Amino acid sequence: MSSNGMLSAETLQRDERKASEDRARRADSLRRVLQNLGVFVPFVAVLVAGIAIAPNFLSPSNITNMLVNASILGVVGFGMTVVIAVRGIDLSVGSAQALTCCLVAASVNGLSPVGGVAVGLVAGAALGLINGLVTTKLRVPGFITTLSMMSVYRGAALIFTGGAPIIIDSVGFKGIATASVAGIPLPFLLALLVGLAFWFVLERMRSGRYVIAVGSNPEAAIETGIGAQRVILWAYVISGVCAGVAGVVLASQLGVINASVSTGLELRAIAIVVLGGTSMAGGRPRVVGTAIAALLLSMINSGLNLLNVVSAYQYVALGVLLVLALGIDSGQRAAVRKMLEGRGTEQ
Amino acid sequence: MNTQETSKSAELKPALHPRRAQADKWKQLLAKNYLVVILVVLCATMGILQPFFLSGGNISNILFQAAFVGLAGCGMTILIAGGMIDLSESGVVAIAAIAIAIVLPSTTIGGALTMALILGAGLGLINGLLVVYVKIPPFIATLGSLYLFLGLAFISTGQKVIPIVSTNYLMLTTGSVGLLPVPFVVFVLCAVITGFILHHTYFGRAVRAVGSNEVAATLAGLPVRRVKLLAFVFAGLTYALSAVFMSGRLSSAEGNMATGFEMNVIAAVVVGGTALRGGNGTVFGTAAGALLFAVINNSMNLLGVASYWQYVVTGAVLVLAIALGSARSGGSMIRGEG
Repeated sequence: MSSNGMLSAETLQRDERKASEDRARRADSLRRVLQNLGVFVPFVAVLVAGIAIAPNFLSPSNITNMLVNASILGVVGFGMTVVIAVRGIDLSVGSAQALTCCLVAASVNGLSPVGGVAVGLVAGAALGLINGLVTTKLRVPGFITTLSMMSVYRGAALIFTGGAPIIIDSVGFKGIATASVAGIPLPFLLALLVGLAFWFVLERMRSGRYVIAVGSNPEAAIETGIGAQRVILWAYVISGVCAGVAGVVLASQLGVINASVSTGLELRAIAIVVLGGTSMAGGRPRVVGTAIAALLLSMINSGLNLLNVVSAYQYVALGVLLVLALGIDSGQRAAVRKMLEGRGTEQ
Repeated sequence: MNTQETSKSAELKPALHPRRAQADKWKQLLAKNYLVVILVVLCATMGILQPFFLSGGNISNILFQAAFVGLAGCGMTILIAGGMIDLSESGVVAIAAIAIAIVLPSTTIGGALTMALILGAGLGLINGLLVVYVKIPPFIATLGSLYLFLGLAFISTGQKVIPIVSTNYLMLTTGSVGLLPVPFVVFVLCAVITGFILHHTYFGRAVRAVGSNEVAATLAGLPVRRVKLLAFVFAGLTYALSAVFMSGRLSSAEGNMATGFEMNVIAAVVVGGTALRGGNGTVFGTAAGALLFAVINNSMNLLGVASYWQYVVTGAVLVLAIALGSARSGGSMIRGEG
């Protein structure tokens, strides 16, 4: 520094500011690249591998199948995206979906198909509301609330069915999952619509900004007058409704409902959300990423099925994928932090 | 520092009359051990409602159940005291038990046990590496490894049940010492050792320091990474022990043998009084919690309640215990959440 003694403090300051701006910009672009890398590279790789290895991967029936499965998973993932964006987590989606499925099946048989759909939505919202209320009012951490409710809802589903499967009679209701509009499966259109709504709310509306504010920095959000607790409560309700909506489609697809459906769904939902680039640190929802990751997961499952791989390997694939996604997420955060801090070499 | 001082002064405050102090002491003891009180009341009530409840066979049944959960609970107590959590127990238990079932016909019991323990420690190490070096929050890292382990378990068994026929092994794991079943005796031993480790060793103190304030522990120069790794390895060992006795009790092993086990273990630890916030743990509480859930489940069975209700009750009791805890401590600062 002694040789640059002629430089005024002002120039130094300007240079420093410019350098840090530059660093911030580079860090941001690095983050974006890493986030996209996490989902697009596997997506393309699996797509190519699927077309190359798996027989009938691109047959119309398999494409429809993959789209419907991705839709059912994706809708749950959208709800999970919001919950994770506010630094929560919902481990109860699988059990909540099982319970709604059972209620839907019983009410389709007892009332009417329309009644069944309504019951599905209301039940999903109610279960989400329980999660939200316990988390915000009783101040139980979200992952413990939903871990407990995972057990409670599953138990409730088993008690409700008595362990016996419920067979849905209505042909019309079972048609929801198989119907298509202009060649596009109805569930996929539904998921597209839901995804679009989520994207719009999160990117363009004030409530979406609230979600991002609460997730990025809860204390600051509260200081600015945002009801953080209410935002978190709503996030859990939304996740419940999403599980319910997906549950209705799933019930229609399966036709026979067991209390043990959707076991392990929470893991798949979390996996697609994190793979899609939503950070576990909160404040960064990426609905588009979630949707692509849902397609990715559904392609993997379908590919493994077509190749007659034992279903147990799907567990392993899922676990590896989740760990990979989380590793990228934390690695990305570390890389960005390092970049913003200027690698710690210049003091 | 500040909060510690204030809490200390709050503790010192009730130094009034000797008699009053004595009464307060009793009250505190009762408040601290309210779980034991609940347990005794529950047992007495059940004994009146169903005299069969207090029969020797049934009591040993309860002790068996409590031992499985309690053994794994020892490791979980250390983890939670260190501000971490582990959801992968059922995977570790399945793999350890399956390994025993597979190798038992061709090796000695000692060899099989050693192998199970090494496997448990190894799987715990994997969890630890994911948390410490890949920097994934514990609960989600172990959720991922749970499915990884379960998948491996299913693959290695071809989704079948593997029977254990060695009568010596079954005798060893389900026999009894005097009146107490072997698993329970081992559990008590393990609990004593865990309590000693947690409260009287360098490792235990480091675990609690990491759990109460990881940044401070790092700044104080504690080997935080090594402590976390060791905590996961220790937990893996206790799960493997639990697997040894569970496989003996079932006289078989399969991928699904311990599904939902993690819920019971976490519930026992937390209901026992180890705060999820980390920083401290009570193995005695964990033991009481394990016994409590064993008694509740056994009572519901005896009273003819559908077994499905156990899911509901376990979940509800867990939420209730944490809600009460956070209402009492006036904050829900929970570590290991993300």
